Amino acid sequence: MLAAQLLLNALSLGAAYALVALGFVLVLNATTAVNFAHGESVVAGGFTAVALTFFLPPDLRIPGLILLPGVVVVTAVLGLAIGALAYLPIRNRPPVSVFVTTIAVGMIVANGLNATFGAAPRTAPPLIGVGTIDLIGVSISRQSLAIIATACVLIGGLAIVLQRTQLGRQFRACSQDPEMARAIGIRLTRITLLSFAVGTVFAGAAGLLLAHQFFISPADGAPLILKAYIAVVIGGWGSLRGAALGASLIAVFEVGVAAISSQPLAEGLLYVIVLVVLFLRPQGLFGEPQQVRA
Amino acid sequence: MSRFLRQFIAIATAVGLLSTVGAQAEPLRVPVLVPITGFLSLEGTSQKNGAELALVGSDIAFSVVDTSTSPEIAVNAFERAVDAAGVVAVVAPMLGTQMLALLPIADEFGIPLITVSGTAKITELGSANVYRFFPGDAVVKTAQARYAVEERGVKRPAIISQTTAYGQSGRAELERNLTAIGASPVLQEALDISVKDMLPVLLKVQRSGADALLLHLHSGPTALIIRHARALGLDIPIIAGSAMHQPETAALLEPAELNGVCAESGSSPVSDDSEEMREFVDAYRRSFDREPDAFALGQYDGAKMILAALAAGAKTADEVRTHLQTASHAGLAMNYRSDGKGNMAHSAVIICYGAEDRVPQIVKRYENLTGTL
Repeated sequence: MLAAQLLLNALSLGAAYALVALGFVLVLNATTAVNFAHGESVVAGGFTAVALTFFLPPDLRIPGLILLPGVVVVTAVLGLAIGALAYLPIRNRPPVSVFVTTIAVGMIVANGLNATFGAAPRTAPPLIGVGTIDLIGVSISRQSLAIIATACVLIGGLAIVLQRTQLGRQFRACSQDPEMARAIGIRLTRITLLSFAVGTVFAGAAGLLLAHQFFISPADGAPLILKAYIAVVIGGWGSLRGAALGASLIAVFEVGVAAISSQPLAEGLLYVIVLVVLFLRPQGLFGEPQQVRA
Repeated sequence: MSRFLRQFIAIATAVGLLSTVGAQAEPLRVPVLVPITGFLSLEGTSQKNGAELALVGSDIAFSVVDTSTSPEIAVNAFERAVDAAGVVAVVAPMLGTQMLALLPIADEFGIPLITVSGTAKITELGSANVYRFFPGDAVVKTAQARYAVEERGVKRPAIISQTTAYGQSGRAELERNLTAIGASPVLQEALDISVKDMLPVLLKVQRSGADALLLHLHSGPTALIIRHARALGLDIPIIAGSAMHQPETAALLEPAELNGVCAESGSSPVSDDSEEMREFVDAYRRSFDREPDAFALGQYDGAKMILAALAAGAKTADEVRTHLQTASHAGLAMNYRSDGKGNMAHSAVIICYGAEDRVPQIVKRYENLTGTL
C-alpha cells in the first residue's frame, strides 16, 4: 500500500515537472537557446492563481481548476513578453546572449513577485478539493489525482496540436529547419512568439498544480529550471517525450529512491544517472546525435 | 594683495566653513544589510522591518541593502556601506554563511554587527564584533529538546533538518541536547531546501518508531512537512523550529492541520498580551501591513540597544561595541546581555497552536538558559 502511495506521489510530482520540462523544450526547439526565465514562469503561474483568489469572496472556496483559464491568459502574455523582450531583439547573436537576457527577465519576475506579494510562500486553492479517496484499500489524495489528470489533458492536447494540426506542423518545421520553414512561407517570428507563449503557459499551469500541495514562493524558480534542464539532458535535447520521461525520472528519485535511502543520497544518485547518460549517450535517451547541446 | 587673490581666499574660507558645518552635521549611520530576496527573504524581510521600525524617527541615518543569499554580495554590500563616514554599527544578515564571511571584515574595520542569525558558529570564532539578538541554537534547541522530553514525555524523537548551515547547526545542538537528557534520536534526516514531496521522509519517520517529530526547517518546508504529515495520518507530536512561529508559515496551513503543533522561538509577538507588545504589534502592522514575528522583534530590540548606546553617549563604533559588551538592555522580547561572545539572548518560549485559529499560545517559557543574566 505504501508503495502504491509513493508511486502516486511520484506520478503527480512527475506530471507537474513534465509540464515544466515540456514548456522548456518548446522554447528550446523554437529558438535553440535556453530560456532561463522558465522557472520564474512556473512561479508566476502559481502566484497568478494566488492573486486571482484575492478577487473572490474570502468564504467562497472555489476549486483551483476554475482558475486555470486565468493562469493560461496571464502566463501566455508573460511568455509573449519574454519572447519579444528577451529573445527577438538578440536572436541573431550567440545563444549566450539569450541566456543572459532570460536570466535578467527571470530575476525581474522573481523580484517583482517578491515586491508585490512578499517573500512568504503562498498556497493556492486545491484543484478539485482536499482529502483522500479509498481505491482498493489505497488512500489516494484528490489533489494528486487532479494533478495527474490535468497534466495528462494538457500534454495530450499539446501532442494533438503538434501532430494533427497545421499549426503543429509549422511548429515542427520551424524547430527542424527554421530557414527552410521561412522559405516556404511560415512566419518564423510568429511561431517563435507562440512557442514562448505556449511554453510559458505550460510552466504557469505547472505552477498552479504545484501551488497548493507544495506551496509557491518567489525564490522557487531556480530549482525548477534546474529540474527542467536535467530532465531535458536525460531525455534528449529537444525531445518532447524525452523531457516528459526525464521529468518523471526526477520525480521517481525524489520520491521513490529518497524513501529507501535519503534525500541527499537520492539527489546524488540522480546526478550520477545524468553523468552516465552524458558519457554513454550524450544526445540523451531520445535525442538525435547531431544536435548541439547549449 | 590682488583682487583675484582676495576673492580666492574668501571663497576658500567659505568652502572651508561650509565643509566644517557639513562635518558637524554628518549623521551617525547604521546600514541595514539583510536578505530581502532569495530563499531567506521571508525572514530577512522581518529582520529589515524590525530594524526599520526601531530606527525610523531617530537621528540615525540608515539605508537598506539586499544581500540576497550569497556571501559575496553581503561582503560587497558591507564594504560599500562602511565606506561612508559615521557608521557605528551594521544590522547584518541573518544567513549564517553570510555572517561567517562578514566577520573577518567587520573585525578589520572594527564595526559591530547586530543580527538575529541563529547559526551557532558565528559567536564561536572569537570575534568582538558580532552581537546576536535572537537566541542561538544553544538556547532554542535546549528549549525544544527539554520541552519535548520533560513536558511531552518524548523518548524516541526523530529530527528532520535542512541541509543548509542553519540546518546543520541546529540539528547538532538538538541532537546534543536530546542525548544529554536521555532521548537519543532514532532517526535524523536532512532535506534540501527545494524538496517538494515530504512523503518519503515521513514514511521513514513512521518506520523508525519515533514518538515525536522534531523539526529544524525553514518556513516553507516546515509547513509542507506538517501538511503532508497530517495527510499521511502521522499521529505523533510535532515540535517545530523557530520558522513555525512566523505568521506567514501558519497562514499556509489550515487550523485543523496546525492543531497540536508546537514550536520553539525567541518570542511570539502576536501571542503576548502586554501593553508594550501590543503597541509594537500595532505599529508594525500599520507600517508593514503584516504580522510581526520573533526575528522582527529581535532585530527591533537590537537596533533599540544601539540607540540606547548612543543615548548613553557613544559616538563611535568602538564606544557602541563597548556598550554592547558590557551593558544590559531591557528589550520587548526579553532582557539582553552579552555572554562575552556576543550572544545577547538567553531565553526562549514554546508556543502551541489550537484548532480554532492560527494564533499560537505561549505554553512554556525558558528564562536565562545560559545563566548569563
